[in-house]
Amino acid sequence: MTTWTTRRQLLKGAGVLAAAAAAAPILSACQPTTTSKSGSGKVVVMTDPNEFNDDDRKTLEDATKLKIEIVASDLTRLYAMFAAGNPPDVFRVQAAGVPQYISRKMVKNLQPYFANSKLLKPDDLAPANNFYKWDGKVVGKGDLYGMVKDWSPDYTLFAYTKAFDDAGVKVPSDSTPLTYDELRALANKVNRKTAGKRVYWGFVHSNNDQWIDRTAMNMLAEKGQTLYAADFSKLNISGNPEALKVIRYLYDLAADGVQQTPTDPSPNWMGADFNNGQVAMLQYGYWFSAMAESDITKGKTVFLPAPTWSGVRRDPTMTATGWVVSAQTKDPDAAWAVFEQYMGGKPALDRAKSGWGVPGLKSLYKEMPQQSAFQQQVQKVLQGELSNADFVLQFNPYLSEQAFSTSWVKNLEPALKGSITFDKFVQNIETEINAAIVDGKRIVGN
Amino acid sequence: MEGVHRMTGAAQVLDRPVARVAPWRRRGLRRAVTFYLLISPWLIGFVLLAAIPLVMAFLMSLSNYDGLNLEYVQFVGLENYLRAFTDPDAQHALGRTLLLMAVVVPFSLALQLALALLVNQRIRFTSLFRTIFYLPYVIPVVAAAWVWKIFVDPTGGLLNALLGVAGAAVNVRWLVEYPTVVLALLTIWGAAGGGMVVFLAGLQGIPAEYREAAMIDGANRLQVTRHITLPLLSPVIFFNLVTGIIATLQILVQPMLLAPGILGLSPGTVPPRDNYLYAVHAYLEIFVKQLFGYGSALLWLLFGVVLALTLVLFKTSRRWVFYGIEP
Amino acid sequence: MSRRRSTATDATLRYLPVLVAATAFALPLAWVVVTSLKKQSEFGSSLLPAAPQLANYQLALSLLDFMKFATNSLVLSSSYALIVVMVSALVGYGFARHRAPGRGRLFMLVLATLMVPNLVLFVPQFVIFAKLGLTNTYWPWILWALGGSPFAIFLFRQFFATFPRELDDAAEVDGAGPLRIFFQIYLPSAAPALAASAIFMFLWVWGDYLYPILLLNGDNTTLAVKMSSAYVDPRGNPLQTVTMAGVVLYVLPLIAFFAAANRFIVRGIVTTGLKG
Repeated sequence: MTTWTTRRQLLKGAGVLAAAAAAAPILSACQPTTTSKSGSGKVVVMTDPNEFNDDDRKTLEDATKLKIEIVASDLTRLYAMFAAGNPPDVFRVQAAGVPQYISRKMVKNLQPYFANSKLLKPDDLAPANNFYKWDGKVVGKGDLYGMVKDWSPDYTLFAYTKAFDDAGVKVPSDSTPLTYDELRALANKVNRKTAGKRVYWGFVHSNNDQWIDRTAMNMLAEKGQTLYAADFSKLNISGNPEALKVIRYLYDLAADGVQQTPTDPSPNWMGADFNNGQVAMLQYGYWFSAMAESDITKGKTVFLPAPTWSGVRRDPTMTATGWVVSAQTKDPDAAWAVFEQYMGGKPALDRAKSGWGVPGLKSLYKEMPQQSAFQQQVQKVLQGELSNADFVLQFNPYLSEQAFSTSWVKNLEPALKGSITFDKFVQNIETEINAAIVDGKRIVGN
Repeated sequence: MEGVHRMTGAAQVLDRPVARVAPWRRRGLRRAVTFYLLISPWLIGFVLLAAIPLVMAFLMSLSNYDGLNLEYVQFVGLENYLRAFTDPDAQHALGRTLLLMAVVVPFSLALQLALALLVNQRIRFTSLFRTIFYLPYVIPVVAAAWVWKIFVDPTGGLLNALLGVAGAAVNVRWLVEYPTVVLALLTIWGAAGGGMVVFLAGLQGIPAEYREAAMIDGANRLQVTRHITLPLLSPVIFFNLVTGIIATLQILVQPMLLAPGILGLSPGTVPPRDNYLYAVHAYLEIFVKQLFGYGSALLWLLFGVVLALTLVLFKTSRRWVFYGIEP
Repeated sequence: MSRRRSTATDATLRYLPVLVAATAFALPLAWVVVTSLKKQSEFGSSLLPAAPQLANYQLALSLLDFMKFATNSLVLSSSYALIVVMVSALVGYGFARHRAPGRGRLFMLVLATLMVPNLVLFVPQFVIFAKLGLTNTYWPWILWALGGSPFAIFLFRQFFATFPRELDDAAEVDGAGPLRIFFQIYLPSAAPALAASAIFMFLWVWGDYLYPILLLNGDNTTLAVKMSSAYVDPRGNPLQTVTMAGVVLYVLPLIAFFAAANRFIVRGIVTTGLKG
C-alpha cells in the first residue's frame, strides 16, 4: 500500500506538472523578456508613460538604433530594481531627489559625455540644469549628473479674471509683481463659498502642499536664509525668526480657507479646479499655460509674475523634472545615446514646440508657441521671469523628496481641527524631520 | 465526538529503524510519510518562495537599509524594534488599528453569518440576492474606494441626498469629519460577500437530516440554529474570525485611497489622523522616509501582534470549535 | 406553530430582512451606475444625469485597450486560481485528515505566512524573481500557485475537518489509499469549498494591483493597474464618470462568473448525495 501511495503521489505530481505545462502556452503569449542587457543593445528607461509614449520610443529607437524598454515610473519598483542590482539604465527624477542620488553614488557623472556632445553644449544649457549639479556640499556646483527634459520658473501665477470681477476687485498687473502679503489679502477678497459649496478658491499653491518645502525655501532664499542648516544637518524653524515667519504665513493661508487643505479638500488636482473656473489664483509654472485655457477659462486667464517675499525676487524652477543615468548601467554609452537624443534631438524640439515647459536648451527657447493672444501675454511675462530664474533650491541630501511635505500634511490636519497648536505643529515637524536627517546622515556614514 | 485514538509513539518511531518497530507503529510511520507527501507542494513552495524572502525581510529589519544603495547598509541589531516603542505615531496608529479591528471584525462576522443564513433559506431569487451581497467583494479595492468616495461625496453623493430627504439639506463632509466611519463601512461592505460564501459553503455541508431531526423533536428555528447549526459551523466561524482579524490589522491601501482629495495612490498621500493605521505608518516610513529597516521592523512587530492574537484564539478554540475529527 | 401562521406573515418574515440588506448593499453600487451615466460636468454638482451618457462606456473601452488588458487579467487570474485550488485542497486534506509528528507546528507555519504583511516581502520577492529572470512574466504567479495558498489551505483544512470520521474508516476498510480517498470522496464533496476558494483566488489576482505594478511592465500588466491611471481627459484631469463606467464593465464579467459558480455550488451539494 505504501508503494501504491507513492505511485499515486508521483502521478499527482505529474498532474501538477501537466497543469503547469497546459498553462505554459498561455504564458508564452507574453514572452519572458530577459532582463540581462549587457551588449544586447537594449536600454531600459523608467519614465512616466503619460509624457513618453510609444511614438517617442520609436523616434528614439530610430535615431539611436537601440532597442528601448519602458518601465512605468514607480518608486517601489525603482527601489526594488536597485536592490536586485539591476536598476533601469535611465530614469526620470525631480530636482529634490538629485543630491541624494548623487551622494549615494546611484547616478552616473555625465560631465565627460557632455564635454564631447555635439547636441548638448555646456553654453546652451538652461539654468535649471544646475539642479543636476552637486559637489558634495551645495546644489548647483560641480559636475553635471543629468538634465531637465524641460522646466519653468515655477512661482508664477495664473489668475482667473471672472473671480476678480465677481468680487469687484481689480485683476493684478502683469508687470508689477505682488508681495506675498498683498497676495494673501487679495486671496481672501476673491475667495468665495456659498451654502457650503465652493465657488472660488482664493489662492492655491505648492501642488496641494506636496511641494510646500519648495515654496518655503524660495521665500526664505529671498532674504538670504535657508530652511536647513548650511551643512543640511538640521531643520530649524522655531529658532529662526525669518523661517518662522514664512511657515506662519503658509500655515495662515491654510487656516484662512483660501486653499485646499486636508480639512477642506477638492476631489481634483489644482489644475483641474482652475480649468473648472474654481480657482482665482493658481501658482504653477509656464508649463501650465499649455492647458490653462479650458472652455470655461478661455479669454479669462492672465499670467502673472512670481510674487515676492519682499527680498531679492527670484523665480527658479521647483521641479526640474529630467533624466539621469544609473551608475550601475552595463552599457553607459548606449544609455547616453538615448539620453542625448531625448534631450537634444527631435523629441526635444517637439517638446519645445508643444509649449509644455521651457526647453532645457536655450537654443530652443525660440520654438515656444506664440500664436494666440494668451500665448503672447504669457511669453511677455515669461521673458521677464527668465532673467530671475538662474537660481537653485538647496535640497537636503539626507532627506527623501517627500519627507517634509508628508510631515506637513500629517500635522496640518490635527492643527486645523484644533487638536494641536501652531507651536506644536512646528515642533512636530522639526522633531520628525531632524530624526530623519540623523537617519539619512548615518546611512552615508556622516 | 468519538474518542480519537492517539498515536502516542509516532515521534519516537521516526528515530528507530523500521524493521524493529511493532506493526501498529509501522502504521504510524506510514501515516506520517503520507502526511508529508500530501503537504509537500506547500512545503517545497514555502522553502523556495517564502523562506528566502522572509529571511531577507527579517535581516532588513535589523539594518538601516534605505532602499537606495546596498553599499551603505549597516547592521543595527534590535535598534529598529526598540525605536517603535518610543515612536508616538506608531502608538497612535496601533491604537486606531486595534479600535478598527474591535469594531469591524465582530460586526462583519455577525453580518456575514446572517447573510449566509438569509440566502440559505428556501426563498425565491436566492441567486440574485447572493450576487448582490457578493458583488462588493469582487470589486477591486481601488475601485471600491472610488465607489465610496463618490457615494459619500458632500454635494454629488447619494448618502447626503438620502439623509436630506426628510428635511433640510444635509451637507456632511464624511471623509473629513467621520473618516473612520466610512473606512469601517467600506471594509464591512467589501468583505461581507467573501465571508458569506464561506459560511454558505459550511452551511451546505451540514446534513439536512440533522436539522430535520431536531425540528421533528419539536425544536424551533432559533433553537436549531443555536444548538445544531452554530456548533457544526464553528470551524468555519473560526476560519472567518482568524482571517478577518489578520486582514483588518493589515489594512493599508483603503485609508490612503479614502484620504480626502484626488483619487489615487501616491506615496505623498497622508490619510486623516483618525485613519492613520499601523500599516499606513509603516508604508510611509518605508517609502517616504526611506526607512526600509525601521518600516520592516514595524511590520514584523505587527506580525507579532497578529500571531499572538491568533495563538490566543487557537487556545480558546478548543472550548468552542467542534471538529468532525480532532485536528 | 409556524404552520398556523398566515402565509403572508411568513413571507414577510422570510423576505423583509433579505430585502432590506440587499437594498443597503446595492445602494453604493447603484450609485456607481448612476454616476457612470452623468456628464463629467454634472459630477459633484447635480444628483441625477439630465440625459444618460452612454458615451462614457465607449470612452471606458477605448481610453485603454480594454479587451487586451481584460484578457491579460483573465488568463493570469484563472491559471492561478485553477492550480492553486487543486494544490491547496490536497494540502488542506493532508492537514485535516492525516496525523504526523510536527503537524501542529507546520500548520502554525502555514497560518504564520498568512500573517506576514505583504509589504515587508515586496523588495525581497522582487529581488528573487529578478535574479531568476522572471520579472515581466506570469511565472511568479504560477510558482506561487504550485506552492498552494495559505488562505486556501486553511479554508480546506477547516472544511475537511468537519467531515465525519467514519468516512475514512469505511474507505480504508475497502482498501483505498489516502489519495484515492481524497479524489473519490473528499474532492467531490468539497464542491462548495472548491467554488468558494476558486473565486477567492481568482479575485486575489483579478483585483490585485500592487504585485502587477512591481513585477510586470506596461504591455502585459492587468486591467486593475491600467484602469487606475487611464481614465483621464487629454489634459490629464481625472474623469470620475468614465472611471465609474469602467468599474461597471470591470465587474460585469465577474457577475456572470459568480452566477455560474453559484449554480455549481448548489449542484455540487445535490449530486454528491454523500453527506449525512
